[in-house]
Amino acid sequence: MRDDDERYFERIESRLDEAFERAERAKGMGYDPEPEVEIPVAKDMADRVENILGIAGVAERVRELEGEMSREEAALELVTDFVEGTVGDYEGRAGKIEGAVRTAVALLTEGVVAAPIEGIDRVEILENDDGTEFVNVYYAGPIRSAGGTAQALSVLVADYARSLLGIDEYDARTVETERYAEEISLYDKETGLQYSPKDKETKFIADHMPIMLDGEATGDEEVSGFRDLERVDTNSARGGMCLVLAEGIALKAPKIQRYTRGLDEVDWPWLQDLIDGTIGKSDAEAEAADAESAPDEADEESAADTESEDGGSENDGGEEAPDNADEPAGPPRLDPSTKFLRDLIAGRPVFGHPSAEGGFRLRYGRARNHGFATAGVHPATMHLVDDFLATGTQIKTERPGKAAGVIPVDSIEGPTVRLANGDVRRIDDPAEALEVRNGVEKIIDLGEYLVNFGEFVENNHPLAPASYVYEWWVQDFAAAGAPVQALEDDPAVDLEHPTPAEAEQWATEHDCPLHPDYTYLWHDVSVEQFEELADAVADGRLVPRASDGGVADADGPAGGPAASGNAAIEDRAVLELANAEPIAETLERLLVEHTQSGETIRVPEWRLLVRSLGFAVDGAESGSVDDDTVARPRLDRTWGPSDLSPAAREWDDGESAIRAANEVAPFEIRERAPTRIGNRMGRPEKSESRDLSPAVHTLFPIGEAGGSQRDVGEAARGRDEQGRRGVVDVRVGDRVCPDCDAHTYRTTCPDCGAHTEPHYECEECGQVIEPDDSGRVHCDRCDRDVTSPDWFSIDVGEEYRRALETVGERESAYEILKGVKGLTSADKTPEPMEKGVLRAKNGVTSFKDGTVRYDMTDLPVTAVRPSELDVTAADFRELGYQTDIDGEPLEFDDQLVELKVQDIVLSDGAAEHMLKTADFVDDLLEQYYGLPPFYEVDEREDLVGELVFGMAPHTSAAVVGRVVGFTSAAVGYAHPYFHAAKRRNCDGDEDCVMLLMDGLLNFSKQYLPDKRGGQMDAPLVMSSRIDPSEIDDEAHNMDIVRQYPREFYEATLELDDPEAVEDLIQLGEDTLGTDEEYRGFDHTHDTSDIALGPDLSAYKTLGSMMDKMDAQLALSRKLRAVDETDVAERVIEYHFLPDLIGNLRAFSRQETRCLDCGEKYRRMPLTGDCRECGGRVNLTVHQGSVNKYMDTAIHVAEEFGCREYTKQRLEVLEKSLESVFENDKNKQSGFADFM
Amino acid sequence: MPLETPVRIVRELTERGYNAEQAAVTLIASAERPGQALEQVVEHVDDTTLRITAGDVRAALDGSRASTSDGDAVTADGDAPDQLSGDTENATKNEIQNSTGGDTPNATGSLETGASSTDASEGAPDSTDPSASTGESDSNRVTTADNTEEDSAREAGDSAPEAEGDASAANATDADDIQRSQAVGRGRGDGAQGRSDAERDRGDGDRRRSAGDAPASRTVDPSLRSLEVAGDVTGQSTGTGEYGDFVKVFRDRYEKLSKQLRGRVNHRPATAIQSMSGGNDAAMIGLVNDIRSTKSGHWLVELEDTTGTFPCLVMKDRGFAELVDELLLDECIAVEGTLSDDAGIMFVDSMHFPDVPRTYSPNTADRHVQAALVSDVHVGSQEFEADAWTRFADWLHTEEAERVEYLLIAGDMVEGVGVYPDQDEELDIVDIYEQYEAFSEHLKDVPGDMEILMIPGNHDAVRLAEPQPGFDENLREIMSAHDARITGNPSLVTVEGVKILMYHGVSLDEVIAELPEGKASYDDPHKAMYQLLKKRHVAPQFGGKTRLAPEEKDYLVMEEVPDVFHTGHVHKLGWGKYHDVLAVNSGCWQAQTDFQKSVNIDPDVGYAPILDLDTLDMTVRKFV
Repeated sequence: MRDDDERYFERIESRLDEAFERAERAKGMGYDPEPEVEIPVAKDMADRVENILGIAGVAERVRELEGEMSREEAALELVTDFVEGTVGDYEGRAGKIEGAVRTAVALLTEGVVAAPIEGIDRVEILENDDGTEFVNVYYAGPIRSAGGTAQALSVLVADYARSLLGIDEYDARTVETERYAEEISLYDKETGLQYSPKDKETKFIADHMPIMLDGEATGDEEVSGFRDLERVDTNSARGGMCLVLAEGIALKAPKIQRYTRGLDEVDWPWLQDLIDGTIGKSDAEAEAADAESAPDEADEESAADTESEDGGSENDGGEEAPDNADEPAGPPRLDPSTKFLRDLIAGRPVFGHPSAEGGFRLRYGRARNHGFATAGVHPATMHLVDDFLATGTQIKTERPGKAAGVIPVDSIEGPTVRLANGDVRRIDDPAEALEVRNGVEKIIDLGEYLVNFGEFVENNHPLAPASYVYEWWVQDFAAAGAPVQALEDDPAVDLEHPTPAEAEQWATEHDCPLHPDYTYLWHDVSVEQFEELADAVADGRLVPRASDGGVADADGPAGGPAASGNAAIEDRAVLELANAEPIAETLERLLVEHTQSGETIRVPEWRLLVRSLGFAVDGAESGSVDDDTVARPRLDRTWGPSDLSPAAREWDDGESAIRAANEVAPFEIRERAPTRIGNRMGRPEKSESRDLSPAVHTLFPIGEAGGSQRDVGEAARGRDEQGRRGVVDVRVGDRVCPDCDAHTYRTTCPDCGAHTEPHYECEECGQVIEPDDSGRVHCDRCDRDVTSPDWFSIDVGEEYRRALETVGERESAYEILKGVKGLTSADKTPEPMEKGVLRAKNGVTSFKDGTVRYDMTDLPVTAVRPSELDVTAADFRELGYQTDIDGEPLEFDDQLVELKVQDIVLSDGAAEHMLKTADFVDDLLEQYYGLPPFYEVDEREDLVGELVFGMAPHTSAAVVGRVVGFTSAAVGYAHPYFHAAKRRNCDGDEDCVMLLMDGLLNFSKQYLPDKRGGQMDAPLVMSSRIDPSEIDDEAHNMDIVRQYPREFYEATLELDDPEAVEDLIQLGEDTLGTDEEYRGFDHTHDTSDIALGPDLSAYKTLGSMMDKMDAQLALSRKLRAVDETDVAERVIEYHFLPDLIGNLRAFSRQETRCLDCGEKYRRMPLTGDCRECGGRVNLTVHQGSVNKYMDTAIHVAEEFGCREYTKQRLEVLEKSLESVFENDKNKQSGFADFM
Repeated sequence: MPLETPVRIVRELTERGYNAEQAAVTLIASAERPGQALEQVVEHVDDTTLRITAGDVRAALDGSRASTSDGDAVTADGDAPDQLSGDTENATKNEIQNSTGGDTPNATGSLETGASSTDASEGAPDSTDPSASTGESDSNRVTTADNTEEDSAREAGDSAPEAEGDASAANATDADDIQRSQAVGRGRGDGAQGRSDAERDRGDGDRRRSAGDAPASRTVDPSLRSLEVAGDVTGQSTGTGEYGDFVKVFRDRYEKLSKQLRGRVNHRPATAIQSMSGGNDAAMIGLVNDIRSTKSGHWLVELEDTTGTFPCLVMKDRGFAELVDELLLDECIAVEGTLSDDAGIMFVDSMHFPDVPRTYSPNTADRHVQAALVSDVHVGSQEFEADAWTRFADWLHTEEAERVEYLLIAGDMVEGVGVYPDQDEELDIVDIYEQYEAFSEHLKDVPGDMEILMIPGNHDAVRLAEPQPGFDENLREIMSAHDARITGNPSLVTVEGVKILMYHGVSLDEVIAELPEGKASYDDPHKAMYQLLKKRHVAPQFGGKTRLAPEEKDYLVMEEVPDVFHTGHVHKLGWGKYHDVLAVNSGCWQAQTDFQKSVNIDPDVGYAPILDLDTLDMTVRKFV
């Protein structure tokens, strides 16, 4: 590790230590459930594993083993330790196996997710029919978060431990085998599996599995055969077991085999059959599987053909390629995929149908706020799609992955639109987009779509043909021998955006393809349209620029001083064509900007268009035309219809004119946008505080006394049935004072003020039990688990007054203090109400574990400008940043700086929330614990440098992060490694931040719900520093270079697999374990700000679902890449119809509920009124909720010309609704009846 | 047969494969001798004509002088039955039982029905006749009047599909009986009006198969018929989906069913029992509100009446404890027992269901007349077995089917739209209206003189929630062929005195899912129907698979005991008698679908149970 990095981590850790010291002092006062901070710091993975499992000695052993072997091997090695008892303190054999299995899963999941504690319930030793013993592993649903490999390996570990302990193998009964098969198909149907094994496969695995896989029921749906088995205690699907068998064993067989081979004690020869895929498949299918490899080879061959051909055409220019039979008849393309359109819902628009022209154009590259399941979109596009896209909005995409988070990148090309007056313009400026937005009639093209190479690696997706873009061209240009460096240094030349004359000169003089700026989308027009346009140009004329409507003046490149006199004249002329719809459409498809005026179409930037169409521009011979004083060049067509080769005419069945253009143009023209990527909106971005529902200020139980708001004040004032004021009966934990033996529910002794401990008294025998090492409390005499909660009559009024008094606050300091109805934790320890008072005062609410949280959509960023984060270069220097990405000293606010791995950017909302939390924490320290404040913040700048916890759902480990700035985008930007350390990627995932001190002071395991999954999403351990080797390896696939090589772009044309070019582009994984692992995250594209485009998606700003859907459909009409009928059809089919059908079904079999006491009835009570309280009972599903979409659906179906089938389904449903909700004898009369 | 009414003229024409203009019908009806006029018209028109116009009629009648007479063309057909009722009685007195359902083609080989029907007919003069004539699938096409007996006897053996081994034996011994039954059938052409000659002359078999080679004509007298419908919700749906509507339905259920039980126990309201002291005997009638098993394996059944609920404990070792397995939520039962010491619970000593009285004696028709009970046609599905249906329709034209005067269809005329996801990919006809049009065309294949009644099913274009009203005007117009009766699901249809409860059968799925395999299964759908009869309710359980539309009363209660209970839906054939009530689930006309394949349901396709309304014996015919 470099010193610089070491200093960075030490800085963080010293602040952490400071906070810890203060928190320990506060906790030491004994006001909390435990007298110490309950989030242990883990410096590395070994620490996390040990902390999360709570098994002493694991960390040390893991560290020993880590240097010597892989993590998987270490997991197996640890089995021996558990069996021998050198690690863990287990008496029984079952306990030893359990410890080994849990540790293995924890190791393989880097000690971050909750699977090892929540996903494995227990291990049992049971008896086979022949009297021998076998091992049963009991899984639970959260094993899902472990992933297939860890799941599979957990079985192997259990089996290894079994063999070491000399326990026999499991001998499945036939009914059990059958049950596995039935259950897995049931689970697959209900919940869905990544891999669905065939029945035969499942039975094969069940038959050979040396240990029994069991688990708890996770669904309501029951199996219909093989019920009530003796050794299976549920008839429902056991989700955990299904996952382990299907996604673990069946899917990861090859991986397990790698480890079984290395173990003498364990032998799973049957895995080979699974790997060969001969189980559960008919012979024909097996053959088909074998044959699959063949086409791949064929592909490679044809790809090779393409290459040699390309090479050929580069060399010989105009010469015809020999017409041989092997030649492909069209350009290389990936097949469109419609998967992303599935389950389209109302209000979330489609931006492009699969691979549809006019959709996003794939451009390769990584922007600084990009990578790790994100998609770069031009901010102008975000505005033009009616603000539906914002920074952080999730899109479901056609490729390479399934979903991505949208990020703004303004260094790529923007969208092209046709305005109401017929003008076609490319919009590269978000401000301009907002200006013209109302006048946009059609979005002809959505602009470029930036995807980094690493995405293709991560998804193992074949490379899609690359657009011909500047970064590729410039390498071609250099390869062609051009003095690129000299031109770059020439202030008169803009290499990236040259003048037409420069572009033409470079293309013709240096045997290099035409510059991308002037490369039009010839592949999107047919040969027929190509010829049509050529004819139109032949009939057209050049006219003075003055009459072009001003478009060219605004957009055209200013003629450089280097341009020749002739060129200057040309630049002042525009091409005028007769206005005809087909011509206009062809120009639109080519993305040629033009204006329309009644009779004519004018193309300001015509020079390379006509050159590409095979016209010679002859300026020298031109005399004066008409009455114009300016000499204008003449356009000479150089070819006739017979000059086009059959190969060019038949290329892509005549649908692509790219070869035709190449035949007639004097230079090579590449495909400008061969890959279009369809996508639709997924989730909107998120940035909001996480509140329980209803919101909670204090985890103090007040029963029903507080009303539906759980208002503590109301509970304090109310009277119960016996007339006692403010007294409620609730179940809370019985605690005892170690000093004076007083019993209380409070964490401090009411008599002597000492910290109290939970009191476990066996209900049956009265014996007082102490918890064992693993925290279980068991009465051996009565063989039952013992819990501490008991019924207490709590005087809430007294509690409330005392709390207010303790912290010196008045009730008027806040509007309402909300408590909870009851506690769900095992010991039911109530939180001191003082904390709630201060939360209410500062306007924050508590999550179930006592912490204050704020949720944000995750987005990556590897380099930032202090200015865009609303901080200064000075702030950054104070944080330890010294240089910008180029190594220059950091002096200015707009210098680009490489972000450090644990630094995060808060959204405006998060910053505000953290400020309130900081105030709350300070109040708490001062007014409750009597300690000095910790934060003392006045404005958000004060938060810069402060530490927070990042924490993702389904995990149990928090990661320490440092605030470095703020953004107006509603997302949480942070280094991709920070997100990966939380086991998130950035495809629209969201997670939360907590203020460090809040977590340390207020989190307690004793608040966590005592149910499956209760330990998830709780900071059971924290990582103080990120080890790049110990994070989700998805992040390692991010590329970190400044430029992709030319070979890469060429490889994309061959649809190569990403591995083929992986060596050419450095990925994060290449620097792992080196000194460079924390730095050097370079990017290919910059963006001027990481928060461009709208701050919030229209989805969030539009009001009702109807408004959203109207906007969605209106947008679908505007987008050329979208088939609006299909959108309407899908919205009806996947949203409205299921909603209508579902609600109608729900209506006719609904529960009812008492409006007064909330009692639920499966069926309407015959008494009519509530049997409990006599109150009014009413339906839970009303007519209004059943037919809310009916009229809209019918209207949309009509307006968008949906299929007759869809319309009829709606018609039948409408009649059903009428039949159910209307009285035949008293039909609702319509307005017409009164006319 | 007199052709005095336009309706009958239309029927007659339809049977011969023609549609007709209203004006044309009026012209024929107003002819002096409509029958003759019709024959002339039919002879006159071109073979390819499908629609007879007034012009055709005039042209045909011009030669033979038909004077247009006055308004008596439209005679009141209501009188007809009365006039001829004497004949009906005569006919039925001569009746001989000609077949029974003894040797069934039922896949499970259930012989129950055969046995019971034999028992039932023991008192009858010709009860020595245990025969079955089944599966003459092709007889109507290959045989002529002269060799019908032999052929059909042979084919009974050949094509009885599942009987296999026994079939040949049965075949040999039954041959005589079949012959006789055929003979009898043919001999009963008493009321015939010489129409048969005319029919033979038609020779237009190519136009309409039904008219095809059928050698013998049907000789039916519609005037003898009667068909009444009760308990039909069509046009009576007054519920508006309010909470009160639901309460009303369940109260009505309780009222009606508790009435059936009141005489049997000395019941008290729940609130009264709640205030009784421990150790007392008590009885209660209530809807089953909840069923739970206790830790020790006993059953806790919570009953609810209009005053409240009371928990009733059924000890697992009691003889009737297994009845708890049969209980469905929301059915009405009565219990008797003793209150616990703290009076908090009742220990049940006996349990009663509304049930069909054991002494129940079903009604029968006064003459020998038959009804075909079918369901689940599923026109529009790629799996619809059109050929089987055509064979069935053709058979109805034969002499053998002469007495089959009623066709009762228990729902799912068409495959429908949007019944399950991506259904359009499996539809032969995607348009729902075209599905009904196609169904109507298939319905035209059956003899025009049959009385047809149909109720909707869950695939039909009516509301799914039960009770389902009959088809709306639009669909009725499409299915106007034969002037079929359209009523709701369920409906109690009284056919010449025999009460047939028609119900599509969606609740059978639930009964089969909830009850132990031995009590109800897809292989024995009639056993599930027995359960419904026992509970006297076609769909007791609320909140599960069956959907309920609240109406002012509970249309799903079997207030009256039906003589025959006819359902479909599960696509399995099965029948049997429960306390002398015949329960029939009538199979389907749709071959196995992919979905059925995936859940391993093998449907019984192309069966038509034929019910003798005078004896309530049943013969199942197979047309595949």
